[in-house]
Amino acid sequence: MLLTDEETKMLNGDNGPAVRKAMEILVALGESFGAERLVPVNNVHMAGSSVLVAEEAGTRFVEDIRNLGGKFVTRVTTNPTAVDPSQWKEIGIPESDTALQVRLTGAYAGMGANTCNTCIPYLVGNMPRFGEHMAWGESSAVVFANSVCGARTNREGGPSALATALTGRTPEYGFHLTENRYGNFLIKVETPMRDMTDYGTLGYFAGKIAGQDTPVFVGLPNNPTLEDLKALSAALAASGAVSMFHAVGVTPEAPTVEAAFGDRTPAKTLVYGVEERTQCENALNKEPSDHVDWILVGCPNASVQEMREVAEALEGKKVHKDVSLWVTTAGAMYAMADQMGYVDTIKKAGGVVVRETCPFLARSRVIAPNKGYKTLTTNSAKMAFYAPGQFGLPAHYGNLSRVMQAAIDGVWR
Amino acid sequence: MRSPKLVLQGRKIVKGKASGEAVVTSEAISFNGGVDNMTGIVTEPGHELEGVNISGKVLVFLTGKGSTGGSYKIYDMVSRGTAPVAFIQVNPEPITTIGAIIGNIPVVAGLNENPTTVIATGDFVELDADTGKVEVTKK
Repeated sequence: MLLTDEETKMLNGDNGPAVRKAMEILVALGESFGAERLVPVNNVHMAGSSVLVAEEAGTRFVEDIRNLGGKFVTRVTTNPTAVDPSQWKEIGIPESDTALQVRLTGAYAGMGANTCNTCIPYLVGNMPRFGEHMAWGESSAVVFANSVCGARTNREGGPSALATALTGRTPEYGFHLTENRYGNFLIKVETPMRDMTDYGTLGYFAGKIAGQDTPVFVGLPNNPTLEDLKALSAALAASGAVSMFHAVGVTPEAPTVEAAFGDRTPAKTLVYGVEERTQCENALNKEPSDHVDWILVGCPNASVQEMREVAEALEGKKVHKDVSLWVTTAGAMYAMADQMGYVDTIKKAGGVVVRETCPFLARSRVIAPNKGYKTLTTNSAKMAFYAPGQFGLPAHYGNLSRVMQAAIDGVWR
Repeated sequence: MRSPKLVLQGRKIVKGKASGEAVVTSEAISFNGGVDNMTGIVTEPGHELEGVNISGKVLVFLTGKGSTGGSYKIYDMVSRGTAPVAFIQVNPEPITTIGAIIGNIPVVAGLNENPTTVIATGDFVELDADTGKVEVTKK
């Protein structure tokens, strides 16, 4: 790999041991993927910010890097943690995770991260620019950034994102290169998209087929909301290892089908109709009983708009006494929703607005049995996909109005 | 009787020198969930190496797989003394590569012969990742 003089100095340790270690990571990564050089980066979103991912070993590694004099030279935002900072005890998060999380978040903040602790960094001050080279983790945010914003990032794990934050470089391979950003196969959408949950269901369908490939959608409405695209991005990266999609006429690198495919022929073409949608809904909505105990809205983290919809559904109503309703969001979204009175409405109805964590990144295998949760009910395809395998809870899956009705009634209909 | 020595040439993925007894598998390994970091024993059900201890060994394997938390698990194993002393891989991938870098474990990949067929468990392996040279003394 060809390094600049400055990069060679970093690799030789001229900027200290933390930068040298970081450079070794990036060079080895680049060489194993055939990158010819490093590209300058000024934007990192750090996965591995939850102790559920980092555990004791990763926490110690991040602390070690800080103790070696590590300092971030790029903008850095962080993904959700394993802990709600103010109500962890009430919602069942173990104390040991809380103690470890304080160390990990403290180490990131000490090196210069904006510890926003959310999977929607693009809504809280880290909005990618078209064409911007970045090193982002959090699979849903990676897909959103590549596809909706036209930024360029691979899916980065904790250590490689950390290495970029310390050096301002990432190896030039994968989605940094134009030739790797074209679509691989075509999906013709031939059923109406009624709400964000429908977009999640479509993402689940396409991700299963895609593996690591890039799907191109035609037939989508030309006016999807931010929430629709967020749900689609998340589901694609859950059932598949997708890093990017194109929606013709919607996303910036797909003005036409030809542009989306770089004038190449699609490897295959699939139709997504009512039948496919119903099959996917049934696969995600698998719990046969009507039992409801744990409800999750906000995967990926809820926007202010979604919190408004939740508050509207709960206005003058009560969450059923046997139900825990979690609305998971970022601190900044919480502040805005609080100002608008949505947080108050949700709380008065008996719901919990959870900050900086979610069932996926908190220790749900401990929380669920402690709280006696047997199922998970959600409007998120990503969460419905992961809940059975990751924390052993079968899922009820449906759109927001159906989920909110279940919150009030205490049964799934 | 002189034991036969086999010399293989690969490329450096992570620098360093090491030697030890080989443990060989033609399957991929997940360090997050597939290996017990406290003991170094492979725990993935149905894996070729299930129940085998890889600590202190030269691990010869297809490639890494699984969650990115695996890099941190390798780092953890090094600090507990339960990690392998070197990796020889058919194909490099990011999780084990990054784990090896942060844990200072030498790694060689892309050898001129398939290491999972020409090296057998129990062979003695000397590896110099900087030159990519791997010397195997058959057991």
